[in-house]
Amino acid sequence: MKVEVDQDACVGSGQCLLTAPDVFDQRDEDAIVELLDAEPPAAQHQVVRHAATGCPAAAITVHEH
Amino acid sequence: MTLAAQRPQLPFTRPNLLELAPFYEVLRREAPIAPVTTPAGDPAWLATRYAEVRQLLGDKRFGRSHPEPEQAARISLAGIQDGPSGSYDSEAAEHARMRRLLTPAFSAKRMRALSGHVQELVDGYVDEMLAEHDAGGGQVDLHAHLAFPLPVAVICRLLGVPEADGEYFRSLSDRMATYSGQDAQDARIEFGRYMAGLAEAKRADPGEDVITDLVRAQAEEEDFGYEEMVRLCVGLLFAGHETTVNRIGLGTLFLMTRRDQWESLAADPDGRIDAVVEEMMRMGAPGDLGLLRYAHEDVEIGGATIERGDAVILSINAANRDDTVFSDAEDFDPDRTERGHVGFGHGPHFCIGASLARTELRAVFTTLARRIPQLRMAVEMDELDIRTDHITGGVRSLPVAW
Ligand code: HEM
Ligand code: SF4
Repeated sequence: MKVEVDQDACVGSGQCLLTAPDVFDQRDEDAIVELLDAEPPAAQHQVVRHAATGCPAAAITVHEH
Repeated sequence: MTLAAQRPQLPFTRPNLLELAPFYEVLRREAPIAPVTTPAGDPAWLATRYAEVRQLLGDKRFGRSHPEPEQAARISLAGIQDGPSGSYDSEAAEHARMRRLLTPAFSAKRMRALSGHVQELVDGYVDEMLAEHDAGGGQVDLHAHLAFPLPVAVICRLLGVPEADGEYFRSLSDRMATYSGQDAQDARIEFGRYMAGLAEAKRADPGEDVITDLVRAQAEEEDFGYEEMVRLCVGLLFAGHETTVNRIGLGTLFLMTRRDQWESLAADPDGRIDAVVEEMMRMGAPGDLGLLRYAHEDVEIGGATIERGDAVILSINAANRDDTVFSDAEDFDPDRTERGHVGFGHGPHFCIGASLARTELRAVFTTLARRIPQLRMAVEMDELDIRTDHITGGVRSLPVAW
């Protein structure tokens, strides 16, 4: 799995790091998403998918395989 | 007769605080974007289905301002969400500034750091509830002892507002959100004056708080107007307590009327709490209207043509109970697997205080479940003192016992 985030689209909701804290973080200065792990291990895949569908700005893209 | 010819008038009568008007079910199925009449008597569109509500919330062709504000449909006789707000030309820039200035202060990380303080506050309020229970007749008002003081104390601390002013700004908020016409407008103006006074006090004597930051930013940024700053501060203080006070009350009612859910929370507070809070966010449906937008362009959606300038009311309450998305949508079921409720909105206006609200709700319900597992309502649902003619509704008191 490959994960991408669009920092321009992100609205800083913090939803993703609540869902998958090992994969997403928020910058301190503006709360915009930061990707911690662009190729998360299999154990993370389900929560990453939830983070992507739950993102209110559709700023997270997941490429399976 | 078709729905279009009827233009049913909002609000639709609901059976009680926890259920929605059955008519929403009909609208979702037959007219997801329905022509309606606002409580103020003007035409508007009402969106009720999850797919359309979510799509509209993410659509940049809608805003809170109106190209010709004097022509805009009026929504209600309250002092907020009554009609368009902000200026059509500068809305996007002003909104971007608001997000930039406020989002970091309420980020998930900051709120996590605040959770110890929130927990201490909750423990203090629950101590008082227990003492009051032992001293008095065994009945305690959960609204007055916990649901109200907690969000007020937390938002006061973050914004740098004196907690002693709580009763005062609560009554202003209450009046501003009541469908009373002139009095609601007066309250909004008075709230603005109160905030301007507070802002000036911060300018003279800065603190480490959000209002001080906003005063500083306004002084530094040329196109950041004074009125806009005051409007922001009022909005924050209002949104920062009203919604959460309400949700603690509704959450309590959901759990007290579903004993099995309460008991499983009490059996495993830390394990159950996140799912319980999300279900409270999905099912909790304060108020009888919805989020408000005006079309900035003509838009085709759900079989309707929304014209530039039209008002659209987005019923997140109805969307969150769309049974094509949430199975057995009327059941309070924390174990459901579907996610993505729109209780905090969606898209560019997604609630800035979501992490704060979740932190407070988690602390409240884990603590009650742990310390007062025998908690129950002391009155029947239909005996509750409910705020009618009010944007978010909610109770004035919540008598409980154990
Ligand atoms: C359970 C409690 C809460 C609920 C249910 C709630 C709900 C919402 C919803 C639905 C929206 C979207 C409005 C729209 O799209 O028109 C929103 C926006 C907002 N909320 Fe909350 N909220 C809660 C708590 C808070 C708190 C504690 C704060 C304090 C910081 C807050 C501040 C805001 C602000 C500033 C916005 C406007 C964001 C924007 O327009 O970009 N909310 N809230
Ligand atoms: S959930 Fe989406 S909008 Fe929120 S912080 Fe993560 S990427 Fe940004």
